[in-house]
Amino acid sequence: MQRFNFPVVQPRPELEELRGELQAFLKEEREAGNFQPEPECWMASADPEFSQKMGKRGWIGLTWPSQYGGHDKSALERYIVTEETLRAGAPVGAHWIADRQHAPMLLAHGTEEQKLDILPRIAAGECYFAIGLSEPGAGSDLANVKTKAEKVSDGWKINGQKIWSSGAHISHYMVALLRTSPADGRNRHVGLSQLLIDLSLPGVTIKPIIDLSGDAHFNEVYFEDVIVPDDCLLGEEGGGWAQVTGELAMERSGPERFLSSYITLETALGQLSGRMGSDSQARLGKLIANLRTLRGMSWAIANLLDQGVSPETEAALVKDLGNRLENDLTQQVRAMLDDLPPADWSPEMRRIMNIGVLRSPPNTLRGGTTEVMRGIIARQLGLR
Amino acid sequence: MINTEGMVAETATKIYTDLCSREVPHQAEAGQYPQGLWNALAENGLPLAWVSEDNGGFGADYDEVFGAIWASAQAASPVPFAETLIANWMLDRAGLAPADGSASFALSGSTPSADIPFGMHADKIVLFDAAHHEIALFDNRVAVRSPEEALSPDGMTQFVFSGHLAEQSGKTDLSRRAFEAMILTVRAVQMAAAMETALNLSIDYVSQREQFGRPLSKFQAIQHQLALAASECAAATMAATQAASAVARHADDPARAWHEAVIAKVQIGHSVEAVTVPFQQVHGAMGYTQEYDLHHYTRRLWAWRDALGNEHHWSKQLGTELAATSPDQIWKGVTTGNWVAS
Repeated sequence: MQRFNFPVVQPRPELEELRGELQAFLKEEREAGNFQPEPECWMASADPEFSQKMGKRGWIGLTWPSQYGGHDKSALERYIVTEETLRAGAPVGAHWIADRQHAPMLLAHGTEEQKLDILPRIAAGECYFAIGLSEPGAGSDLANVKTKAEKVSDGWKINGQKIWSSGAHISHYMVALLRTSPADGRNRHVGLSQLLIDLSLPGVTIKPIIDLSGDAHFNEVYFEDVIVPDDCLLGEEGGGWAQVTGELAMERSGPERFLSSYITLETALGQLSGRMGSDSQARLGKLIANLRTLRGMSWAIANLLDQGVSPETEAALVKDLGNRLENDLTQQVRAMLDDLPPADWSPEMRRIMNIGVLRSPPNTLRGGTTEVMRGIIARQLGLR
Repeated sequence: MINTEGMVAETATKIYTDLCSREVPHQAEAGQYPQGLWNALAENGLPLAWVSEDNGGFGADYDEVFGAIWASAQAASPVPFAETLIANWMLDRAGLAPADGSASFALSGSTPSADIPFGMHADKIVLFDAAHHEIALFDNRVAVRSPEEALSPDGMTQFVFSGHLAEQSGKTDLSRRAFEAMILTVRAVQMAAAMETALNLSIDYVSQREQFGRPLSKFQAIQHQLALAASECAAATMAATQAASAVARHADDPARAWHEAVIAKVQIGHSVEAVTVPFQQVHGAMGYTQEYDLHHYTRRLWAWRDALGNEHHWSKQLGTELAATSPDQIWKGVTTGNWVAS
């Protein structure tokens, strides 16, 4: 008996054609100077123009039905697209969150009208979403959200504040976890609901938060008597907690959990070509062994998800291992680059390395901290 | 996941469940060799699983045999089951008949002697001389055997080849890389299985042992140590699975599974410390005793990570090779497992 479920996936050569198309496109865009590759591109590099190009080629909304602007493809094809864009460090941040989690949520819980209105715009790379989970008093303790939605005659009235909402300043919508009725004594998981909020509505204020590197990609979002119509309740009233935990499980095992810094390694390989010492070669061997293993785990989960299985614990394992790996990668590459005199570092290498170091702290925070992941794993092990 | 379904894996699992209960490895270490366990494996023909049908074996799916090896490592097998499987596979690759009895193996280098795992117990020794593409079978029972210092309870001997006549020998199409791929994969599967068993022991122990008025499992410091170790165990199983799957896919020429096998060795070898340290730690002094079961796994993990070169050796081997290819080729390997430029 084996404890963890990571099934073997036989090679899928039929997916390689799509990979080739992605590689050709990304190379062309980069060589034309249309983007500068960056680590953490899926969170911190947003370029609506680039997203629209991806949309035109049919690389957003791959898995949705075509009547909603999707392309009827499998989750595995979507996986290929995401891993290739991460490898390239391409500016995919604008559409990433909507494509990954909010479109599937709308498909599951949205009205027909919402699906017809919003999904084709997401697939075109024109409509972006922000996550509305954290609040000043609700970080890892997410059930402590205080932002309220009150039932009123013409819908729901929202008051409160969300925080750390990446890309909210360029997003059209937020899906927020809100308190729609009081907690039941100590059970705070009841009375929470998810609502779709149009960020252009009156009463919404978005303020940037500047990160330690000076970038402004995450935000505080304030709601003051914001009224959304009835049909903006996604799923069941009071069922928000279960929906959110299911959603988090799906987003924890993707390639963005271990490939965010891969561009740093590739850039260094170019720099070190023919000049790598044996210590660096050993580091490279270990890094690639770790990456290949993580890729195997993440790919196995993608295959399970494609078959309708959602393995929460395995996803938490991938996130914990993957986040450590992407930060370790940056450190290993720093060590490898000691083979070059500092004067030989290209400006591109320096830029990417600096971004990689500066953007490392959130890897082990977003999508559930390392501590939360270990709590999930410990529960599965029967320890709590 | 290692495939533990199918006749070979299920038969081995049943034999180990019935005849290798937790006392057996203790008794073996005290000198009571479990001959009955070996006999049951042999009577069911399991050591011939990788021998082709025209050579008296049953040419089982490679995949299934890895499931049998998984079961043997979970039971801390005190008999050379995996070693005999490998030895017979080597003989088969030279068109030679399988060994009569249990066997172990060695790779001949420039020296006339080699480290033999299970050298005190194996009836036969199979030697691979990669430089001359030759496989030879020696009778270990007539050899002068003396135990070497060994980390593992399976023991180790030096076998001196000069002065010994091979019972059989033959030319083989086996390359050194194919041999390495096979050995590293078998050891990877054993290590992943041993890690998972040691994890299970640790979970049981911290759930029962109480200090400060509650079970150790209720302390977050313990929970997080074991959660971290569990993620390493899961990664080890994945790496072993990928290697086993590559060997099974390339059964005709396991050299093509070399990269996946080396990756498994590097991944798992590096994580041995990351799991044995917390497992020993949460067991306190009890884990350091011979009386308790944990050391059956800890010591084998320490030995297996060193076998055929440690994780540092193989990180260098892999890295040297990758450094000479292109970033495109490396990416292709990471994403598809296809490491050889086509």
